[in-house]
Amino acid sequence: MNEQLNYLPSGFITLSKNGIILSINETLLQILDYSSEALIGKHVHAILPNPARMFFQLYFIPLIMRKHLVEEMYLSIASKNGEEIPVLINASLHNEKEEAVIYCVIIPMRNRNEFEDQLLLAKELAENAFEEKNEALIELEDALKTLEDKQEELKKLNQQNLIFKTNTEKELQLAKKIQETALTKDISNEKVDILSFYRASNELSGDIYGFYQINPHQYGIILLDVMGHGISSALITMSLQSLFHRLISQGVRAEVVMQELDSHLHDLFQNNESAWHYCTAIYLFVDTKKQTMEFINAGHPPTIFQDPAGQQLELYATSPPLGTFEGIHFKSKTLDYKKGARILLYTDGVSEPLGQENLNLALQRHATLPLSVTRENMIVSLSNEAKDPYKNDDQCFILIELK
Amino acid sequence: MNSPDILTRNNVNIKGNGKQPIIFAAGFGCDQTVWNPILESFEKDYRIILFDYVGLGKSDISAFDSVKYGNLSGYVQDVLDVCSALDLKNAIFVGHSVSSMIGILASLQKPEYFSQLIMIGPSPCYLNDPPEYFGGFEEEDLKGLVNLMEKNYIGWANAFSATLLNNSERSDVANELEDRFCSTEPAVIRAFAQACFFGDNRNDLPHVTVPSLIMQCSEDVIAPRNVGEYLAKHLPSSTITFMNAIGHCPHMTDPVETALIIRDFLESNTESIMREDIGALHE
Repeated sequence: MNEQLNYLPSGFITLSKNGIILSINETLLQILDYSSEALIGKHVHAILPNPARMFFQLYFIPLIMRKHLVEEMYLSIASKNGEEIPVLINASLHNEKEEAVIYCVIIPMRNRNEFEDQLLLAKELAENAFEEKNEALIELEDALKTLEDKQEELKKLNQQNLIFKTNTEKELQLAKKIQETALTKDISNEKVDILSFYRASNELSGDIYGFYQINPHQYGIILLDVMGHGISSALITMSLQSLFHRLISQGVRAEVVMQELDSHLHDLFQNNESAWHYCTAIYLFVDTKKQTMEFINAGHPPTIFQDPAGQQLELYATSPPLGTFEGIHFKSKTLDYKKGARILLYTDGVSEPLGQENLNLALQRHATLPLSVTRENMIVSLSNEAKDPYKNDDQCFILIELK
Repeated sequence: MNSPDILTRNNVNIKGNGKQPIIFAAGFGCDQTVWNPILESFEKDYRIILFDYVGLGKSDISAFDSVKYGNLSGYVQDVLDVCSALDLKNAIFVGHSVSSMIGILASLQKPEYFSQLIMIGPSPCYLNDPPEYFGGFEEEDLKGLVNLMEKNYIGWANAFSATLLNNSERSDVANELEDRFCSTEPAVIRAFAQACFFGDNRNDLPHVTVPSLIMQCSEDVIAPRNVGEYLAKHLPSSTITFMNAIGHCPHMTDPVETALIIRDFLESNTESIMREDIGALHE
């Protein structure tokens, strides 16, 4: 090798087309810390670490064989003590005496390599950050989509709910009408006036009443208040109504009427405690010929009885409410009346907003006016109290005048 | 995808005057021109089929999909697509390096496409798996190789300019710039490297039915001698030939020896089939 090539300020090596080292300059030997005898005749793999050997076979050989030129190939070479040195290689292929010879110039590039490593690292970090950002964005989009789906679902449910509510309201209005048709009409004749008032809360009513002329001189009057209001209470009133309608119309004795209603309630709920309802009730049996009035009060607010002189008597409960204890023995009380006596029966939906004393007064105040005036005044008073919290209870009262 | 599209996508070129089809599949990272030094030996007697895998050479780079081609099955599909597009039956498949394994996998899916597999420097698994198997590399080595690829710009800078100029009016310019003969285009090469070097196809070998030739080079660092011997032992109806050529690319460094061995194998194989026929006639 000539002096200039030998001391060129970069490595110089020649290889056979198979990669056998044919010559190597002093500069490269110094970099590698080998003597020329140790390397000449060896395969170039001797100075390449494993990955570089692969790369050499996969890229260097095809390029040099096909293009006869390799430019700026990055590789690493290994010195005698195993140190890896990053290098740039330029190579060309020449045919000398019908044999191909590969000339390689090898330039160590430790600093530049460090710089490139940093660039690659920065690139990788940027890619990772970008990836993370994208993932976060995708997650956010997913969350948004989920939210929108949920909102859409909610909207649908709301619509369904609205339809359901409208249907239910219609049904309830219809049920209310049906319930009202079960109520008996006012009675007014030469012996007796029986007037009623009935106003259900927004829901179906738990109040029910009925009055019947059993025969020309006997009347049965009943008022019941099933605990609570709403559909379940209303259904119970309807089942009780059909029962008392039959019993009272047939002129069955007061004790039996109450006994039957009581056992009906027990029958309804004997196997189902969670559906259990009780009911307060008052039953009056009036005989206009004997001028007597028989009554049983099962846990109901006291009925007000007023004699023609304006003296009032309150008919308190004679037994617990219907459907509470099994085996209650109902016993009626009887009192005589004089013509002109008046009676007021009511549920707590009336007494609570107006006050017990006002009921007594209402009956007294208009004692000389027709019974219908008393009723009107009471309705007005109830309407005036409509703002108060009791407005949501069912309201029902019955006024009787015995003539 | 119809046939003309596949022929364009994989840049299929057909040469030669014979009838028997012979497919040449390039190894890692390079295009079909690697076969140029040996083609002359086959032109007279064979129908030579050359192609580029998607992402390499003059293939349609827009068909590249890093998921599909992140696995050998993507490249296997390229081979099968080409065979199907050309309606090939009983073709000879010559694969270099990783293409050997691609040929094996393709033959497992469609054995009727292939009559013989010829493998130059094949390896079913590059990683060492001691104590039974010595593929030649540790995971660190393969990572180092990927790192070297990332730091080399061969081919891809040009490919990048080609993409920039990718409009029909200037396609002549793009073609001029395009030289992906041996490309390290990052997206493509990373997927290919992953698919080639980190896979393990040892379990597929016993299922191969197509007769094969293993061409084992001297001092091949990528597919060492013991790997060739392992293949010969585990591949049914295989033959191994040890070459004088040194390195991993004998078709480029020693085209004469390479072509001779391939022709010898094909002729002796054909002869044995012919002899069987003759024998049958005599009975």
